[in-house]
Amino acid sequence: MKSLTVGKIYEDNQEQLQLELLNGQLSFERIIEEPDLHRPGLALSGFVEVFTFGRVQILGNTESGYLQTMSAAKRKKALASLMSFEMPCIIITEHNSVSQEFLALATKSKISIFRTPFKTTRLMHLLSDYMDDEFAPTITVHGSLVDVYGVGVMFTGRSGIGKSEIALDLVERGHRLVTDDIVKISRKAEGILIGSASEMLRHHMEIRGIGIVDVRSIFGIRSIRLQKRVEVEVHLEEWDEAENYERIGLEETITEILGVEIPVVRLPIFPGKNITVIAEVVALQHLLKINGVNSAKLFNERLIESMQSGNRKKGGLTEYLDKDFE
Amino acid sequence: MIQEKVTIKNKLGMHARPAAMFVKTAAKFKSDVFLGRDEQEVNGKSIMGVMMLAAEMGSALTLTVKGDDEKETLAALIALINNKFDEE
Repeated sequence: MKSLTVGKIYEDNQEQLQLELLNGQLSFERIIEEPDLHRPGLALSGFVEVFTFGRVQILGNTESGYLQTMSAAKRKKALASLMSFEMPCIIITEHNSVSQEFLALATKSKISIFRTPFKTTRLMHLLSDYMDDEFAPTITVHGSLVDVYGVGVMFTGRSGIGKSEIALDLVERGHRLVTDDIVKISRKAEGILIGSASEMLRHHMEIRGIGIVDVRSIFGIRSIRLQKRVEVEVHLEEWDEAENYERIGLEETITEILGVEIPVVRLPIFPGKNITVIAEVVALQHLLKINGVNSAKLFNERLIESMQSGNRKKGGLTEYLDKDFE
Repeated sequence: MIQEKVTIKNKLGMHARPAAMFVKTAAKFKSDVFLGRDEQEVNGKSIMGVMMLAAEMGSALTLTVKGDDEKETLAALIALINNKFDEE
């Protein structure tokens, strides 16, 4: 379980959301366990049965306005009831004024109060984005991630099979390294995997026989990128005669990472085979496919059509080239 | 070396899927496999070659197998063709 504290939210968003801390770091250690935000309107009106007090609470114009319309006695009761819940923090939007009474009660209950000039909807949008990122499911995969012609290709396979060497070769050919050896993958939005390097390893790789290599220093800034969507997995394996390797490519093999399906290509390696060039073809083939061109399918359709029409005769270009005596 | 005449029986002919089945089966054996149609002959372990023949339903092909396990190879390949490559 991800543990996000109020303190971290404040630290990460203080600048962007222009958060102003009105009382003190009272609940900065408190852990928030879900990414959702909550507006405690109904809790203020007295209905607290299903109050999701564990979420970050947002007090918008509606709530602030409602508090002002209440009689002093009622307001006191409502606030006391609200503050009796162990909320992580409350954010007041649109720079609404906060009464001393409100702050005093919050401070007594050890709840940090923030204020922002943002409108409620805008704030909730921005903060939700941040929370979703923080709570995105993540996984670490043993592999290398390279941006090949804009396609995020992740190489996997046993240790020592040559993932780093292929990544290096691709970088040499002008592609961009995201990470080598360890890919941190998180699921962003629906069905999108984003891979990045661990802070420590960033654009360094180990090449057997040389040691640690700093790709950015050697190949320059254009040779790296910080993160990339993981789109295709290339699984490297030793050539095994008994294995059934893909020969046509009509059917895609799929692998699942964090519940997201991506195509996987199993590539047998053997001496004399240039995996780097094949990896480029894998990327380009993927680009063609997402643009609606499936080479294998088109080829097969043409083949079936030609068989059914019984037309195997030469014509057009073939006939023209037939006369090309040289 | 053994040779046999075969006729393609599945409706769509030897398109990509049957061709892949054919070469994958052929590749399991040590013998050399050749597939001929009219004056053309291709290596039965090459998918592009097999597809080039564009063998539609009813076309007659000559299957040639050479090698130590030629009998088993031929039997496996003929079974595949006669089973219509598990198609219609």
